[in-house]
Amino acid sequence: MDTRLRRFSTNGMTKFLAFALVVLALAAVVVQIQYAEYMNGNVESLIVDKYIDSEEFYYGQVQSSLYRVSRAIEEGEAVEGTLDCIYFAADGEKTFGNTSWTEREYYGQYGETFYYLENGEWQAGENANPPRFSYGIDNTEAIAYMAFTDEYMAGKQLDWEENRAALKPLALKIAASMVLALLLIVYLIWATGRKPDDRELHMAKIDSVYSDVLLAMFLPAIGAWVVSIREFAFLRNRVFDGLGMNEVFSMALTGGATVVAVTVCGVLLLSLVRKLKAGKLLKHSLIFVAFAASYDFFKSLFDGRCFKGNTHTQSLFKRQWAFIVASAVMVFLTFVFLFSGVIPLMALPPILEILIIYWYIKGNNKTFVEINKGFDDSLGEQMKAERMKIALVTNVSHDLKTPLTSMVSYVDLLSKEEDLSPSTRDYVQILSEKTDRLKNIVSDLFDLAKSTSGDISMEMETLDIKKLIEQTLGDMEDEVEKSGMQIKTRLPDEPVIIYSDGKKLYRVFQNVLDNALKYSLEGSRIYVELEKHGGDIVAMVKNTAGYEMDFTEDEILQRFSRGDKARSSDGSGLGLSIAESFTRVCGGNFKVVLDGDLFKVAIEFKE
Amino acid sequence: MDNAGILVVDDDREIAGAIEKLLESEGFQVQKAYDGKEALEALVSGGIQLILMDVMMPRLDGLSATLKIRESRNIPIIILSAKSEDSDKILGLSMGADDYVTKPFNPDELLARVKSQLRRYMLLGDMGNESKANQIAIGGLLLDNDAKQLTVDGEPVHLTAKEFQILEFLMKHAGMVFSAEKIYKRVWNEKPYSVENTVMVHIRRIREKIEINPKEPNYLKVVWGIGYKIEKI
Repeated sequence: MDTRLRRFSTNGMTKFLAFALVVLALAAVVVQIQYAEYMNGNVESLIVDKYIDSEEFYYGQVQSSLYRVSRAIEEGEAVEGTLDCIYFAADGEKTFGNTSWTEREYYGQYGETFYYLENGEWQAGENANPPRFSYGIDNTEAIAYMAFTDEYMAGKQLDWEENRAALKPLALKIAASMVLALLLIVYLIWATGRKPDDRELHMAKIDSVYSDVLLAMFLPAIGAWVVSIREFAFLRNRVFDGLGMNEVFSMALTGGATVVAVTVCGVLLLSLVRKLKAGKLLKHSLIFVAFAASYDFFKSLFDGRCFKGNTHTQSLFKRQWAFIVASAVMVFLTFVFLFSGVIPLMALPPILEILIIYWYIKGNNKTFVEINKGFDDSLGEQMKAERMKIALVTNVSHDLKTPLTSMVSYVDLLSKEEDLSPSTRDYVQILSEKTDRLKNIVSDLFDLAKSTSGDISMEMETLDIKKLIEQTLGDMEDEVEKSGMQIKTRLPDEPVIIYSDGKKLYRVFQNVLDNALKYSLEGSRIYVELEKHGGDIVAMVKNTAGYEMDFTEDEILQRFSRGDKARSSDGSGLGLSIAESFTRVCGGNFKVVLDGDLFKVAIEFKE
Repeated sequence: MDNAGILVVDDDREIAGAIEKLLESEGFQVQKAYDGKEALEALVSGGIQLILMDVMMPRLDGLSATLKIRESRNIPIIILSAKSEDSDKILGLSMGADDYVTKPFNPDELLARVKSQLRRYMLLGDMGNESKANQIAIGGLLLDNDAKQLTVDGEPVHLTAKEFQILEFLMKHAGMVFSAEKIYKRVWNEKPYSVENTVMVHIRRIREKIEINPKEPNYLKVVWGIGYKIEKI
């Protein structure tokens, strides 16, 4: 049961409905308040039973009447316009009033609403609410009586009760809406970030926005709402016979604006709540991040972390700070001595500073020398290693080729023997093929080692790469015919001039085409293209592989690698590696692109 | 020529032995030496028409020995070396060697090169320098313009008319590089339009006829990305 309730309460649809309900309830509250305004309903009537005790009566009637009667006495003229109360006033010379009664007793009979002027001060009758502000006048001779008749008050009380009767259901509705909204908000705060399937906290996309940015977004949302309420809800007409079109329209606008504002604020609030639940409300804020980053930056200036593990630079760093601090102390001491008047002592800090500078420079120089030495040493080591590598390649190559020469020669002699049994002849044939292959591998390995070690002699000249490609294709015509592939060329009409080593480039294209001929799908086409865009020259060889290429672009260029399924008994497997290495020493760029069964080699040069 | 004396110089006894067997099977008289010094001593006794010389040997290396021999003798020398760089070849040839074969070599190719050098040395030794009018001689190539005939080391080679014209044009200007367009214009007498392939295919066929190893030609060379030339020897 518990889990079922949980499943229901954390369900996305439930949460969405709750959210929509909150939005509607709050919009309803606003619209209802506006409606109450239109009805000219006085909310006070809900709280204050009797009209006579209401603020409405006190400020709307009593206070303003006292004021107007006082003004009349000071100016010596009767009150202008009409008053709801009855009064009589005399300033010693003239008398005014809006009844014929001049006796205090007459006015005094309305004890609860009776006010009189005495010694320039207004006093309340026995049972009346005392005036809260004194409208005293200078003329102490003047007298005045003021009261509201019982008939008037009774009528007002009736209005008051009518008003309350009209407002009460509306007020209940507003209160209910607000309670509903509040409860749902509490529920949403609990449910947000939770999902039925697990107990993890789930963040939404908007949560990746910094907290303070979210918080700042409340401002425009609320601001826009306030402005629109002011614009839309200006009508304050009393509603006599139902709502007019204007009022309905205005209420719709206010409601709409509230829906928008509450939706935006709700989304923001829930995002903040989720962040709070995840404990990153503060940490994931722009201010915090900026502060942490700048703190880290300043800290890095002082803690020397980037010199960790490097004793030389670390000692430089420490010495630098020691120097700065010591120098600052010296400057401080100079001022101390200057202001304390110990003039002879003032010579001390500069002398010490000179010693500090001497220590600083000497120490630094020593460290610099050590750094230089370390640098030279490692450079020397590197050169030595490089030289050793080249020597190794040359020697190993020689040591491999010499026994190979014997093998090739004796296998050849063996094959020329006449009295061999058929099976021996087969064995010799196999030996012959394998020694040939070994010969190729050693030769390719040597070429590759030479070119990758950079110890290779180049014959650079100005040549036409388009012509070179055509020559290579002509040179390989027999192989092409034998393979059964078709070669499609797309070459520019104009010569494409580059500065490079023709022999090595020939090897490059020969190897790439060889590769294409060897591994293409039977009877497919090989495309050879050359393009020039501005200063960029790209030669492209494309073919469709005859097998699934289960390797990456990098792997195929690794020495000795070949698509496993395509291993055949001839070739060294170094063709593309050599092509890549040669392209590089020729000043070009060699790229392999695999696209499904499409195998592309792009050879790029700059003009 | 069949029983010509050949000196095989190599410090690796197995290789020397293998070459000996190879050459003897073709009827040559073989002597062996295992370093440069021994080679010089063997030469004194005479009866040697060609030397196969290794480079890296103890006591006296092959290049120095070649240089020494060239001081007094015009005998053909073929260098056999594991060093395969272009610069090594150029160095060997400039020391006075007539040919350069890299190890490990193809036995048949080595035989062909030995025979080529011997033919040139024994049969055409005196003809190479004083070619007749309308004859062009470059290395073992002899092109007779009157007879429309080409011989390689004295052996006639059959060329088609176009092949002959191309070779004639290139041999006339040995050492110079010509583009496919230029060759086409001269030989075909037509306006060249995308002729690279046509010319290249012809060059390849000529190479197969005149070169011992068409993949590593001695005479007819492709200058990649530029054109074609006959090496000036």
